[in-house]
Amino acid sequence: MLQQIINGLALGGVYALIAIGWTVVFGIVGLINWTHGEVFMIGAFAGYLVITTYHVNFFVALVVAMFFGGLVAYLIERLAYRPLRTGPKLALFITALGASIFIRNLAAIIWEPQSRAYPATFEASVMTWQLGSTVLTINTLQIMIFAVTLVIMAFLQWFITRTMMGKAMLAASQDLEAVSLMGVDVNHLITITFWVSGMLGGAAGVLVGVLYAIDPMMGAMAGLKGWAVAVLGGVGSISGAMVAGLLLGVIENISTTFISSGYRDAIAFVIMIATLVIKPTGLMGFKFEDKV
Amino acid sequence: MAKPALQFAQNLAHKPATAIILIAVLLGFTFIDSLDLTEEYIFGAYAKHILFISLIYSVVTLSLNFVTGYVGQTSLGHAAFFGLGGYVSALTTSLLHLPYGVAFILSGLVAALVGLPLGAPALRIKGPFLVVVTYGCGEVFKFIAINLDITGGPAGLPGLISPTLGIAFSDIGVTGKEAFIVAALILALVLAFIMYRLEDSRVGHAFAAIRQDEIAAASMGINPAYYKLMAFVFGAFFAGLAGSLFAHYMSFISPDMLSSNESIMMLTMVVIGGARSIPGAFLGAFLLTITPEFLRFVKDVFGLSYDPWLVLFGLLLVVMMRVKPQGLLGAETVFRR
Repeated sequence: MLQQIINGLALGGVYALIAIGWTVVFGIVGLINWTHGEVFMIGAFAGYLVITTYHVNFFVALVVAMFFGGLVAYLIERLAYRPLRTGPKLALFITALGASIFIRNLAAIIWEPQSRAYPATFEASVMTWQLGSTVLTINTLQIMIFAVTLVIMAFLQWFITRTMMGKAMLAASQDLEAVSLMGVDVNHLITITFWVSGMLGGAAGVLVGVLYAIDPMMGAMAGLKGWAVAVLGGVGSISGAMVAGLLLGVIENISTTFISSGYRDAIAFVIMIATLVIKPTGLMGFKFEDKV
Repeated sequence: MAKPALQFAQNLAHKPATAIILIAVLLGFTFIDSLDLTEEYIFGAYAKHILFISLIYSVVTLSLNFVTGYVGQTSLGHAAFFGLGGYVSALTTSLLHLPYGVAFILSGLVAALVGLPLGAPALRIKGPFLVVVTYGCGEVFKFIAINLDITGGPAGLPGLISPTLGIAFSDIGVTGKEAFIVAALILALVLAFIMYRLEDSRVGHAFAAIRQDEIAAASMGINPAYYKLMAFVFGAFFAGLAGSLFAHYMSFISPDMLSSNESIMMLTMVVIGGARSIPGAFLGAFLLTITPEFLRFVKDVFGLSYDPWLVLFGLLLVVMMRVKPQGLLGAETVFRR
């Protein structure tokens, strides 16, 4: 049980990163950013490619992946979403869907569809602890992933609450129109939002790549789990997404032992549906009012 | 080039004579080989297979139109009803050994019954949240089908009966399954007729009012919950029937039928054809069924190592939403902001 919780925390941190990427975009633009899973995939591949071609260390790969994740998210916003921002919501959603299908399959053509694993970038050792009658094993990779996630989140928290731009983003997630009346350049703000979202997605991609195999279709499930986490935490709430991400990671791992591993991926959806039906504001979210 | 073609298609909707000619052409296409006019078959089994698939997706697109087109609720879980219909009818014929007619009706009824609780969240949840809830429901269905023994797990259920439905041409036909083409055609036409009559009925006006402004509609005494559920149940019923026909035509069913990719395809058929447009639904279904098959042919001719369809499909959606967000045959003011 404790073992499952430990395994779940590392994965949960990554879910939280993906979910925050979803939630900042939804909070500000009001769009289900279906391409976020693809940004995550691009990040994973960017990290993989720099590690295999230039043999750089993990942290350089992380920074490169964050840059490319941000760049791709920005390009998607600039080329696909911005022209339609004032248009009908369904058209915007279908555009997101189309862009996601396009990027995913283009990646499958360029990088071949088979899955591959990151080369070992550093010594991963396994620690074992004797706790009463149970033996706990902890991989140093897991600890490192968890630590990196925490650092990124701390940085994000600083950015949101301490910088002018971050405060503007927080305000915009509550009322974009009012923020634009206060003299904030909305286009600039949305550009920054997509960069932040993309960088988080890219970072999550590398962290997942270190633990599991990567392939061009990996974005689909990861993106949806990110959405489920965002909903559970309360859409638009960054701290909610952090808590919910860790929670989902742990719940998934526990359910594997207690229910069946076959239903592992379904857990996220069940939680998401239950959240929306029972408490649509999630754990820490605020209500999106129906405007007449 | 594209414009006259579109106008022609638009005209079809208002001229019953043209529609009848089209139906006659389809039937001729289906049965000309049954007359044994030539040594070789004029149209291969493959062409008829594509025709059947297109017709089935026409039914599904029309049924999704109730939810997405009329009441304006974007659903990404429609394949759940399609697959559910298939599984229900597969299990009734193979486990309970009931005749296909019973299984057919039952598949629609069960899908509608399941559509009721699945439609219920739509009463509270709106817009983007509904999209992910319907998507999530579809995925959960898929995981259930994969994990249960009775549904055959990931491999699905092979060897379903393919009845001739009383059409006796099948012994000289190409695929022996012409009856399914006729059945799918009838189902599509019945549904198209219902939609045609619905437009100007009390229910149709209620749908339109809810779509345009739910709060205003409610204040006028229209019960949005009642009509939204009605649209969900109706859509689910016909999707279930289509699923039953599809499963027995293939004589095989697998969890792929429930997959989210199917749901995405169905939604895009509605959007590309044009929401609430009857000829648009047919156009969307035929276009998105035939084009990938055509591109597979292109792939073989040019010796490409990959299938270009999905990349082009993604690009097509993005471009389409820029140029003509209301769909090919949709009315100009389809969406509200």
